[in-house]
Amino acid sequence: MLAGGFAAGVFGSLLGLGGGVLIVPLLTLGFNLPLRDAVGVSLACVVATSAIGAATFLERRIADLRLAMFLELFTAAGAIAGGLIAFALDEQLLAGLFALMLLYVATTMVRRALRPDPAEAAANETADTVPEPRNLPLGAGGAVFGGVISALLGIGGGVVMVPLIHLGMGVPLRVATATSTVMIAVTAAASAIVYLVRGAIDPYVLGPTAVGVFVGALVGSRNAQRIDLRVLRLLFIVVLAYTAVLMVNRAVAPT
Amino acid sequence: MSTTEARLGRLLFRGSLVAIGLLSVGIVLMVGRGLSPLDVPPALALDRLVGDLLTLHPAGYLWLGAIAVLSLPILRLLVAGVVFWRNGERNHAAVGVATLAVIAAGIALGLAGGR
Repeated sequence: MLAGGFAAGVFGSLLGLGGGVLIVPLLTLGFNLPLRDAVGVSLACVVATSAIGAATFLERRIADLRLAMFLELFTAAGAIAGGLIAFALDEQLLAGLFALMLLYVATTMVRRALRPDPAEAAANETADTVPEPRNLPLGAGGAVFGGVISALLGIGGGVVMVPLIHLGMGVPLRVATATSTVMIAVTAAASAIVYLVRGAIDPYVLGPTAVGVFVGALVGSRNAQRIDLRVLRLLFIVVLAYTAVLMVNRAVAPT
Repeated sequence: MSTTEARLGRLLFRGSLVAIGLLSVGIVLMVGRGLSPLDVPPALALDRLVGDLLTLHPAGYLWLGAIAVLSLPILRLLVAGVVFWRNGERNHAAVGVATLAVIAAGIALGLAGGR
């Protein structure tokens, strides 16, 4: 579990994914944990790893703290609603939703591998140099949705929040990614607390997984420059697609 | 000069290290007692936590680590709210307080629902 968490942390940080995309399949498919318990543990791990990323983005003033705090109000509300909904939903339906999310992430990575965005690498904006975000009502509504998705699937919600802040609110991609990272901890903590008080976080599972993911994320972020990310990204797309198939199998398998 | 952002960044970084440290101690104690991650853990009971910590029971350290992890973002909201209030940014402080109220409502709703 420690090694699996470490691998999830390394892959997640190298590829810019939250650990949740990998932790939930690791715990459900690898250790046969109920999906809801895996989501609870994953959310707590996401809080731990995103706090480090958030610390860096805040200290370098890349994240827009005020925008993050405005949107957190709505992601937290969505996350609590999602956390409560998760206990009312059938596990097979949750597995099906998770498979869909994996396929979405894999498709996004394929698109990025085929058509890399040159502006992404060259960007050097900070929160002080970007214009005021526009379309706050859209941001608020989208943030509620991002919170629900995060709580249901045990992910940080960056898959929803980064495009929303970047495309919907006109914030440059670099600042949008940093702002989303700052928000992830509050979003995931809001729903993780619901899982905690309902007894769906197992400390014996959380310990090794969280420490593994945390150390893996630190190692991954320090070695990102030395690794050919194109090969890693292609390999990871295959892993995501395979995991999605396993999750679909879990969703349709008779209980 | 220490900005609000830098102060919050340091808080998150140091808090994460403390939380992961507690979880790491819990893992070492688990190994020492021959416990597997797939064993059934004791439920979270705040009145037993201090006793578990004093008797070096792994669950005590793991639960405290879990609580520390989940408290970090709440602490960040609190500190940001106080700093914004002192700086005269009342709107941002109010947003922080509202988010804390939403999280408190989530705890109450979660407790009310049982498992």
